[in-house]
Amino acid sequence: MKRTTIPFGPQHPVLPEPLVLDLILEDEKVIDAIPTIGYIHRGLEMMVERVEYTEMGFVVERICGICSFMHGMGYCVSLEAIMNVEVPERARWLRLVWAEISRIQSHLLWLGLGADAFGFENLFMHCWRMREQILDIFEKTTGGRIIHSVNRIGGVKRDIADSELAAILAELQELGAAFKETARVFGTDPSIAHRLGGVGVLTKADALAVDAVGPMVRASGIATDTRLGGAFMYDQIDFEPVVETAGDCLARVLVRLREVDQSIDIIRQAIDKMPKGEGLPIENRPRGLPSGEVFTRLEQPRGEVVYYVKANGTKNLERFRARTPTFANIPAMIKLVKGCDLADVPNIILTIDPCISCTER
Amino acid sequence: MDTTAFLARVEEYHRDGWRLALINVTTVLPAAPAAHGAQTAVEAAAVGAAPLDGPGVFEIAWGFARGGEFKTIREQIEQGQSVPSISEFFGAAFLYENEIRELFGINVTGMGVDLKGQLYKTATRVPFSHGAVKARLAALAASAVKPS
Repeated sequence: MKRTTIPFGPQHPVLPEPLVLDLILEDEKVIDAIPTIGYIHRGLEMMVERVEYTEMGFVVERICGICSFMHGMGYCVSLEAIMNVEVPERARWLRLVWAEISRIQSHLLWLGLGADAFGFENLFMHCWRMREQILDIFEKTTGGRIIHSVNRIGGVKRDIADSELAAILAELQELGAAFKETARVFGTDPSIAHRLGGVGVLTKADALAVDAVGPMVRASGIATDTRLGGAFMYDQIDFEPVVETAGDCLARVLVRLREVDQSIDIIRQAIDKMPKGEGLPIENRPRGLPSGEVFTRLEQPRGEVVYYVKANGTKNLERFRARTPTFANIPAMIKLVKGCDLADVPNIILTIDPCISCTER
Repeated sequence: MDTTAFLARVEEYHRDGWRLALINVTTVLPAAPAAHGAQTAVEAAAVGAAPLDGPGVFEIAWGFARGGEFKTIREQIEQGQSVPSISEFFGAAFLYENEIRELFGINVTGMGVDLKGQLYKTATRVPFSHGAVKARLAALAASAVKPS
């Protein structure tokens, strides 16, 4: 049969960021997909050669506008490990709260984009309206809606008053209650089920074979989550990974829907358990220059991120590397696209929640 | 590197249920600038403390995760040497392997999927090769030294 090559991207209505897949088709079936990235490669890893380690954190959190907080946190946690800095307990709890707020805003953003891609404009608007509330919380507590710059090596720059934390929790719980109706539509609307159900199935065996991460792997029935490792105060939180078993596009939507609720509950537990009072220490500034290396793993909204930081006792790091969840999920995406109908490619690509800025650094 | 022993270790990780978390490469520079009192690699190059014409060495770390555990296999290779692909055991390895070839110039033999150099679009060809890193550091050093 004659083969046709169709370039998907770099500009496409479902792609908020540039990615190219050369789709090789026989009739309407995709038989191969060759990825090309690099359209927004900024060489952030190269910048360690000339940006001092104290300033590099502000660069790292600009890897991505959606995972900004957690990139900053991952960088600071890595340097704290190298420099043996003990972070005050309240600062660790505050980081957890902001990290989970990040997860909620990321999932709401993606759910909106997903709804827009399968033609449900109304859901898109509801999700993004709710996300605005989350961004308002970020602005109120960190001063920034997208780039927060609240992480410091050794702690955090700002505290959140106990009364404000209580107000934030009340607001999140109210948002969670309102979100139930939106989630109900995602989960029960027949047109959504028809469009996403049974499409782009990643079996449990395939998910393991391609080392997928995050909601992508949990939607294939694998209960894995870096937070279960217990670092960064998660050992004091009672939670189980959200798992679906169908492995299709709809399952990936359902995992993210349920993780919004889960994050609100995690924030509730964190606020309940953190030490209370005014004037508690939130930062323990490091001394000297970093020397050593560390691998750090965090569970970002899209899945596990791995940072490698190597310092040699100078003001410049020798190596900084971020392996983002989207990078880890590209092999899964290629596997899913092979054999699917051309018309399903947009939804399959979107349901991995691709972040090309993260991937390219 | 001992390819047979390396692949046997990788197979062991695969058999024991580990997941490939990343493959990371570091361009190893020839001198430790701090030993010469310089605080940055640029300063070290500027005062001639870090000769940038040493042998080209890369350190490669294959990182594996299992639950909360994380382990690495480390190898140092000289520029021009090849490393074997681990695609046979870890299907996702091809992406990392294409990346290290494009960004570091390391040849990986037997890759599961060869993207033929079209994964990244970078302004500098092989930006983390020893030649490229040294050229950047030398340029930074030259711009940092002001004539007296």
